[in-house]
Amino acid sequence: MTTLEAARAVGPGLDRVDAPMKVTGKAHYPNDFGYPGLVHAALVHSTVAAGRIRGIDTSAAETAPGVQAVITHLTAPRLEPGPMTLLGASPPTPFQDDRILHHGQHIAIVVASSPEQARHAASLVRVDYERSEPLLDVHDPRATVVENPWGLDSDRGDVDAGFAAADVVVGGTFTTPDNTNNPLGLMSTVASWNGDSLTVHDSTQWPHNVRATLAAVFKVPESGIRVLAPYVGGGFGAGLRVWPHVILTVLAARQVGKPVKLVLTRPEMFTSVGHRPDSVQQIRIGATRAGDLTAITHEGLSSVAMEDDDYEPVSLCSAVSYACPNVRTQDRQVRLNIPCPGSMRGPAEGQGNFALESALDELAHELGMDPVELRLRNYCEEHPLLGLPWSSKALRDCYLQGAERFGWSRRDPRPGSMRDGRWLVGYGMAGVSYPHYQVPCQARASLHRDGSADVRSAATDIGTGTYTIMTQLSAEQLGLDVSRVHFDLGDSDMPYAPQAGGSGLTSALGNAVGAACRNLIREFLDVVKDDADSPLRGAAPDEVSVSGGRIHRTGAPDQGESYTDILTRHGLEELSADGRSTPPQPDGGGMATAGAFGAKFVEVRVDPDLGLLRVARVVSAIDGGRILNEKTATSQIVGGTVGGIGQAMFEETATDPGTGRIANATFGDYLVAVNADVPDMEVIFVGGPDRATPIGTKGVGEVGLVGVAAAVANAVHHATGRRIRSLPITIDQLL
Amino acid sequence: MPRNRGAMTQVDAAGATSTGAAPEVPQVEVTLTVNDTEHHLRLDSRVTLLDALRDHLGLTGAKKGCDQGACGACTVMADGKRVVACLALAAQYEGRRITTIEGLAPNGELHPMQAAFARHDAFQCGYCTPGQIMSAVSLVAEGRAGSEEDIREFMSGNLCRCGAYPNIRAAIRDALAEG
Ligand code: FES
Ligand code: FES
Repeated sequence: MTTLEAARAVGPGLDRVDAPMKVTGKAHYPNDFGYPGLVHAALVHSTVAAGRIRGIDTSAAETAPGVQAVITHLTAPRLEPGPMTLLGASPPTPFQDDRILHHGQHIAIVVASSPEQARHAASLVRVDYERSEPLLDVHDPRATVVENPWGLDSDRGDVDAGFAAADVVVGGTFTTPDNTNNPLGLMSTVASWNGDSLTVHDSTQWPHNVRATLAAVFKVPESGIRVLAPYVGGGFGAGLRVWPHVILTVLAARQVGKPVKLVLTRPEMFTSVGHRPDSVQQIRIGATRAGDLTAITHEGLSSVAMEDDDYEPVSLCSAVSYACPNVRTQDRQVRLNIPCPGSMRGPAEGQGNFALESALDELAHELGMDPVELRLRNYCEEHPLLGLPWSSKALRDCYLQGAERFGWSRRDPRPGSMRDGRWLVGYGMAGVSYPHYQVPCQARASLHRDGSADVRSAATDIGTGTYTIMTQLSAEQLGLDVSRVHFDLGDSDMPYAPQAGGSGLTSALGNAVGAACRNLIREFLDVVKDDADSPLRGAAPDEVSVSGGRIHRTGAPDQGESYTDILTRHGLEELSADGRSTPPQPDGGGMATAGAFGAKFVEVRVDPDLGLLRVARVVSAIDGGRILNEKTATSQIVGGTVGGIGQAMFEETATDPGTGRIANATFGDYLVAVNADVPDMEVIFVGGPDRATPIGTKGVGEVGLVGVAAAVANAVHHATGRRIRSLPITIDQLL
Repeated sequence: MPRNRGAMTQVDAAGATSTGAAPEVPQVEVTLTVNDTEHHLRLDSRVTLLDALRDHLGLTGAKKGCDQGACGACTVMADGKRVVACLALAAQYEGRRITTIEGLAPNGELHPMQAAFARHDAFQCGYCTPGQIMSAVSLVAEGRAGSEEDIREFMSGNLCRCGAYPNIRAAIRDALAEG
């Protein structure tokens, strides 16, 4: 492999390359785009949760000022289903029949000259429903239960024998509510047809998925569709799928023959783009007096929509996190008349970890053992299901260094024993073993005669820092200064990239970018292979190094020349190369590919009289493999932690049990963490490059959220002696 | 620095909304002074200040995060004081001096607060950022950024779902220290 000498490009906290655009308001998000002649759409929603549309009267809407079209299931053309994707089936194609499957389901789209006119006309649509009784509760005996939905249930050893051998058994029922992703950017679609070709600006985390889906649904070639998402106002999973409103906007644009813009309203963000589903979890853990785990059972129950899919193996974390010989995990999904759930930052892990790490804290308390000590005692050096060593695992360092930084040794283990004035002080911690996820990716790199490079791939940067870290990585791989590299993304005309999701993009894209850069250097060597004027004549890729815009023979910096010199002498404007990455096999090379690991340490304050809970400090120690940019990676962990504080203390989507209407679908009613709720935080990265891929990264987009809820709940127990098993932790639980 | 796709048109400054309205929708003539430039507009009377800026003047820096006054993404300044532009009717802002993120620093320079946000990585997706910066600048101007507690409290009307709050505070402290 080519030796890299410009390692400074990677690692340090380079400011985001897109920072100037973002701080000046020049970064254009999907709803910032328009076209001459643009018209605007508004949606009409079902006000019942189950039944049929008996009649729909659009006459008043159609004659309202400015209205250009009103489309319903009666007037919509037959459209095809979306394709199977890496994430499962597409959501059902909208407007194909008269059935109502959830409250808030889109049942008409109105197009008018202005947004005000569209919204007004939408309010004039009258609907006559034939109602059925909706299924809204996971415990409803009439609801369909899907057993083992993903084939991931696990059973190893003999749990009955394990519990029989236990000196102590703890556990109980843990519940987590529906949470709504609520990226701040209202998800938006701007669609513009030109004959059979289509341009779409969309708040997506995966432009190629939008392209493939629209091609399938509208039966047009993918090559005629361009999907653009250079900036996206967050997503946290809400932009992974092609939701019905995207299809409806594209349909509306085709129908009226004009570009159409749809900006979801905040209430629509609760019903249209997925959410983290509620869970009811039963967990039991048995251990010996000495603290060796003898058995774990973990059962998860989650809700899912009537006719859609969601990947949410809540209990799986218990199968892969600790060295315990006897473990059984089981998941079930209950089909309800609800908007479809979907991935929300740390899907499944966010819920399952709360139960597992809370129960372990309970066990530590019962045993009179330090919670960190308990986790170290049951540390698994091998992947418990595969029996292989991890490609990297520095979780032990996470525990030890995190504890050190936090001052864990100051913790008096007796609940209620630590005080600061009238505040009870609690220290809590949790461990995190995040799964590995990576899918194929491609990138293209070009070097121009002026010595600058362009690297691109159809990925998205939803705030993750992708623009920046890929600029750094490209600079490193090509031996250029970062100022000479332009990395571009967010355009489906670029080489294929997978979704920004599952904490898998950095590795998938990083390895594709790395491959493209290595292939590009090979191209240069190929050009000079018979060039008598080149000091690199005949050099093989593994005999050269790159730095300062030059390729030179390794160990002999003067035996080389610049990219510019090679291109100039050979009369070339540029050279380009493609690169692709494929995920490592789960057991490739005799190791289990590892995701990120982490340990969270939290200090809370509880006012025993008022029930007030404050998070005072958080230390996150993270093994994220090789960190490409400490600044943006730290932001990922801090941001995840803020999401975790929201999950722990505030966030709960409340569905009216009678009607299925979401009762708190605004930012006034659905509480998220605000500035005053969030303390300053410390993040430390431990470990080193992961061995599974050449670039050595592991994703850090989600590991920061997971574990926060358990660490907060454990800290609350330490402060008050109360074990909270239901999120969010609200005042009434503390009084 | 990432570029915006050149091929795309920015929001049509003429605005599709000024045509096609039937007579029963009251139209109003409004003169808005935005970033020291006067604009004469004829608007549907329901148009908010935010939509007037974004859809009619092509100033898309102010963002819409809720349209309900609850997130702060649309924060702009009117006569130096912060307003959530989604709750303001454009017609009521005639004669007021409106400043948006685009007008914060002239000639492609960065306002010290903008520079501090960039240095401290005080954003991730960047969607809340124009609103955060306008709030932060107003807070400092109003003399209400005196203590850490004040910054936390008075910046709590600006949601950041990406969770950049600690870095936002660091940026404000830093900008303050610079004077
Ligand atoms: S858009 Fe104005 S406060 Fe949210
Ligand atoms: S940076 Fe994404 S909402 Fe603040």
